Amino acid sequence: MWLWFAKLGSPRWFYELSDKWLPWLYVSMLILMSVGLFWALLIVPEDYQQGQTIRIMYIHVPVASISLACFPLMAVAGTITLVWKMKLADMVAQSVAPIGAWFTGLALATGAIWGDQIWGTWWAWDARLTSLLIQFFLFIGVIALRSAIDSPDAAAKACAVLAIVGAINVPIIKYSVEWWNTLHQPASNFSIDPVAPNPPEVWVPLLVMISAVYVFFAIALILRTRNEILQRERRSQWVIDLVTREKNV
Amino acid sequence: MFEFQFSSLSEFLQMGGVYTFHIWAVYLLFAVFISYNLLQPRMVRRHFLLEQKRRAARDEELSSKTKTQN
Repeated sequence: MWLWFAKLGSPRWFYELSDKWLPWLYVSMLILMSVGLFWALLIVPEDYQQGQTIRIMYIHVPVASISLACFPLMAVAGTITLVWKMKLADMVAQSVAPIGAWFTGLALATGAIWGDQIWGTWWAWDARLTSLLIQFFLFIGVIALRSAIDSPDAAAKACAVLAIVGAINVPIIKYSVEWWNTLHQPASNFSIDPVAPNPPEVWVPLLVMISAVYVFFAIALILRTRNEILQRERRSQWVIDLVTREKNV
Repeated sequence: MFEFQFSSLSEFLQMGGVYTFHIWAVYLLFAVFISYNLLQPRMVRRHFLLEQKRRAARDEELSSKTKTQN
């Protein structure tokens, strides 16, 4: 167990393992994304209230839910950095911040576009919207904090602390729709009953899109982490060998 | 359950006519988001490899020069 843990912390081991994973991840993303988009755009029936704008849900919901997974991931990576000083964990924490900012930004943007249609307004100081906006600023804050500190070790520690403290916002975002009765609707329940308000023909394609976006998130994170590994280990022999081997640049 | 909702391409592009812009704007943003986050790391990697190769070539040149001087 500890051997496995020590191995997992080795950037080189992760780099070589991800070489094998990436092709599979690309293939599964391509399949899931094609099926999901085809289904969401062409097959899902019009909503009785929203009409065709129901199709916005198949982008907004996956992106927003995965944006909520980014911060806890950063906090866990930060904890591992602080407790075990694992280098790889800090590289993951650094790589997930810009991706999280992108996810949160897109969730806010698609939500605004959808809101203009269903609520008649692009923005409101609703509990869910505001807490998500705070998450966006927290990601920007983590990125800014890292670039503001010169010493990499001090930057890693400071970012880990901010990630752990900032993670308190995640349950607030998650339960904001239940604690405060403002504009954003609470989460819907899935039902296998074909005449229920949410029949499988609506949520099965949503699950496909959520899995597709999760796989995409994994790819984006692995790609950025790999770059970070190369950058930080550029003086070690295995990276020098890798650079010499790489011909098609 | 598996029925096409549109009978023609123009009907599909219209998306019901009322919120055409809203729906396609969301899908366009999503496309930009996916492509940026897949292409940006590739560019960074390319840049890194080129830079390291250049550095290695320069180091080699420097060391061969010192050898000839000696």
